[in-house]
Amino acid sequence: MKFRGERIAIGGIAAFALLSLFISPWAALSREIGAKSAVLVLPNNILDFTGRTESIILPNAVTILALSCVLLAVMALAGFVRQKGLRSVLWLLSGIALLVLTFWGLQGFQQSVATARSTALGVVAQAAIEKPRKNTDVEAVQVAFDALGTIPIAESAEALKAAGVRVRRLPYDNSGFALASFLAIITSILAIFFSLRLFKVTSSLIDSIIQRAAVPATSIILAFAAAGIVVLALQPTPVGTNVEISGFFPYIAGRLDTLWYAYLTLLSYSLGTVGGFLEALKFATPLIFTGLAVALSFRSGLFNIGAPGQMVLGAIFAMFVGIYLPGPKFFVLPIAVIAAALGGALWGGLAGWLKARFGANEVINTILLNYIAASLLLFLISSQHNFASAAFRALIAFAVLIAVAMLLSLIPAMRRFFTAAPRRNMAILGLVFLTVFLVSAWPRPTDGTITVNLPFKTSGSESKSIPLSESARFDHLPKVLGIDLSENPGTNIIPVNYGIVFAPLIALLVFLFFPFRRMGNLIRIVISLGVGAIVYLALFFFGLTAFATAIPPTTLNFSFILAILAAIFVYYFLWRTKWGYELRAVGLSPLAAEYAGAKLSRNMILAMALSGGLAGLTACHYVLGGTLGDYSLRISLPTNDGFDGIAVALLGYNTPLGVVLAAFLFGVLKNGGSVLNITFPELTRDVVDMVVALVVLFIAAKGFLPERITNPKLRAANLEDDLKDDLKNNIVEDKAQTKDEEQR
Amino acid sequence: MDWLLVFTLIASALRATTPLLFAALGGLFSERGGIVNIALEGIIIFGALAAAIATQLVEAPYLASDPNASVWFAPWIGVLAAMVCGGFVGWLHAFISIRYKADQIISGTAINLMAIGLPAVILKGMYDNTSTSKPVVNRLPEVGPEFAAGTFQFSPLVFLAFILVPIVWFVLFKTPFGLRLRSVGEHPEAAESVGINVRRMRYYGVILSGVLGGLAGAYLSIGNLNQFISEMSGGRGFIALAALIFGKWHPIGVLGATLLFGAFQSAATLLGGGNLLPSTIVESIPFILTMLVLAGFIGRAVAPKAIGKPYEK
Repeated sequence: MKFRGERIAIGGIAAFALLSLFISPWAALSREIGAKSAVLVLPNNILDFTGRTESIILPNAVTILALSCVLLAVMALAGFVRQKGLRSVLWLLSGIALLVLTFWGLQGFQQSVATARSTALGVVAQAAIEKPRKNTDVEAVQVAFDALGTIPIAESAEALKAAGVRVRRLPYDNSGFALASFLAIITSILAIFFSLRLFKVTSSLIDSIIQRAAVPATSIILAFAAAGIVVLALQPTPVGTNVEISGFFPYIAGRLDTLWYAYLTLLSYSLGTVGGFLEALKFATPLIFTGLAVALSFRSGLFNIGAPGQMVLGAIFAMFVGIYLPGPKFFVLPIAVIAAALGGALWGGLAGWLKARFGANEVINTILLNYIAASLLLFLISSQHNFASAAFRALIAFAVLIAVAMLLSLIPAMRRFFTAAPRRNMAILGLVFLTVFLVSAWPRPTDGTITVNLPFKTSGSESKSIPLSESARFDHLPKVLGIDLSENPGTNIIPVNYGIVFAPLIALLVFLFFPFRRMGNLIRIVISLGVGAIVYLALFFFGLTAFATAIPPTTLNFSFILAILAAIFVYYFLWRTKWGYELRAVGLSPLAAEYAGAKLSRNMILAMALSGGLAGLTACHYVLGGTLGDYSLRISLPTNDGFDGIAVALLGYNTPLGVVLAAFLFGVLKNGGSVLNITFPELTRDVVDMVVALVVLFIAAKGFLPERITNPKLRAANLEDDLKDDLKNNIVEDKAQTKDEEQR
Repeated sequence: MDWLLVFTLIASALRATTPLLFAALGGLFSERGGIVNIALEGIIIFGALAAAIATQLVEAPYLASDPNASVWFAPWIGVLAAMVCGGFVGWLHAFISIRYKADQIISGTAINLMAIGLPAVILKGMYDNTSTSKPVVNRLPEVGPEFAAGTFQFSPLVFLAFILVPIVWFVLFKTPFGLRLRSVGEHPEAAESVGINVRRMRYYGVILSGVLGGLAGAYLSIGNLNQFISEMSGGRGFIALAALIFGKWHPIGVLGATLLFGAFQSAATLLGGGNLLPSTIVESIPFILTMLVLAGFIGRAVAPKAIGKPYEK
């Protein structure tokens, strides 16, 4: 394949990494509150923006710099090499070497930081020994001092604190790698990845990965780049008191470090800590639901922008069931979940019906329904409402009238009568409405103001419902897995049974994806269950069924598992059932599908109702899962998740697996947004909303990539051309050979 | 009958109509050229933001000496900024959906999504506050006849909106430019065959619609109020699109439709003031009526034939 993209990409990134070695920080000595930092630029050029961090020498800095330069230059220049073999070998070797070199350097850096920290702690300890305060246990301090450097620094600090020494914040907090070393690592990983073109198997694997990931990856990178511009524009390099940045070089390095640390902040909490990871999953849960909703509508050729409204309706329905339905948990909870889905399905189905029956554009209608739903939510749970009696009577009369009309329309004979002469009937209907309006709204002498107090709203001015009954609450995930966190509110170290999660999951994957050719369903189930049992036994054998794990407190609840199940349902429905097949056929080509016997109107309503139902299921997370604070419906229901679902669906190529992955990515970003809000004084979490919007924009533009990559038809044509060329060459060679033979 | 009340009703309906009319006329240019412009909502928000910020920045140096200084040109520079900004956002929508043949609804949705996040980020950077801008001292003046206790004093943009209706009609139906634009929206292949540059015409249409959407935003932030408030458009862009469909993609029809929706909105606002109905119900009335209108009338409207389809050469 004549594809030079990766050569240009690696060359460019390597050149960029090379440049960054000289102008951007390679490692961070310390990062303080307010994103102030002290950084190290190779070779051993310390830039201190905190104003109170002492320098640390990185051993072998010059060697690292020189070798990194050479290796990156080799990588960049290898892009010009035409022979695939030589190029790949160069990339592979230099990639591995750079990776090893960078990690070796970072390890040396961490060691010198640790030494510096224990020295600093030693100074404190020595001062305490020489001038002990009243409550200082000198002997314990001496013991801790002697142990310095042999045990982890945090433990030493704890020991000193226990002995009564006042230990302030340890210096060199949050030290670690920075932009230049990160770029070096990324470049080497990319070089190694593309060097796998050496082998035919991995080469085709790389092709398929590029095909699938090119557009989403480019879109994400571009969105991050745009966010970077915003970060640079809004956030000046944070500095401590009495620190001034003077000179061009410190300025550039400071800017680059701010940029890098903003990115790191967005990602590191979710991906680097267990608590943050669980939190990211919590953010991802509703996005999985809404992403699936939008993806399902896309697959059936419709565009559901109404997920926010459907979320609201689902939440309202779930709230009613949760508050008023008595009974045990196993009875109430499923009904509440079904009610949530029904609420969303009603709102989505309404838009579908309007399109099917009247040809009203579903895009505009779902948007209008969003606003109506928002008003409805506010009406139901905001403080008391005053009606004028006449208006109240008119509203009630209209509601009754509409209900009667809907009931009548269910009777086939009535429907036939009404559709027979639409104009006459519309006129009659209008007259009926007018009469009802005049009769009901005519002022009467006894009229006053009617105050409506809805019974399910909490007393007080706060806009929220009363809490759900105990039996309509989802358990937090640890409790589902048999871990009781209620005794200790902090982080617990508890044996966790991983088998419960992984064995069924693998059994399910085997059931869905294992290539059973011509086998009955019974055999498939037996084999899957068998594999699941074997996996469970294996986990048990390795002690993973009771593996001690540190569990931070989390409000991640059962709805996460429900979201995964919903993703599996969508996969099964769309790709393994008759109805799903019909839906996709209608989505691909409505006319062809209709010709083949699919009913367009029914499919439209079904698709919108299913899509709305999925969006409504977010109520499991927000209402039944109690994520809004307590187990009640609040006005703070984040309906923007419905819009983010569009981004999730697009990023995930409208496939369930893609949706789950994309939702996780956005969960990570949203989680990181809250950390960004705290860490940087001038930035807000809205940066994340902007990134999400830009991802949609760039995916719509197919990542600004040339069409020969993004358009499958053109790509296939290109491949065909290549094949033809190959064939031609072969034929020419064959002819030459035969000629040779003839001459002999 | 209390005539003053009637005048107030009419005047507030005209005020509510203005942004809808600007946006709907904008949508007209875009959709007649064959590009669905669902991004109008976002364009209005960006226009409002640009107008508020530009006005505030221009008047700031004068206010430093006198906190009540009258700077007559400041709001007009704000209006200009809104037009430029709206035009730019329109260009972005056009660029994505014409050059890269993106789904126009997705591209528009992306711009609407951006109108949620980006203003907050900008406001935080400029005013240390994520939802409102600093109130401006010099908003657009109110002009008009001294009649009925000044209820008919409007911002000049109100007059401009209504004057634009015949102008737009003339441009669309009586000039070569309008003919070309409409032909591009109806049958791009035929237009191309007689030498019209389809893509360029479509760019013009969408950019024009962005400029008009920006004007709608400017009216909201420095005509009707004196500051930008996040999501201040409140669905007007979408109602304008509905009005466009209801008005059958014709300037006169659009005028009628936006007057109807504007009357809904102002009636809702006036109802919400009294003790007649709770404001939450009142706020949803324009949206419910819009839906009913769309369901009842859309079947008979004929959209530009090539609308929503990317043009492939």
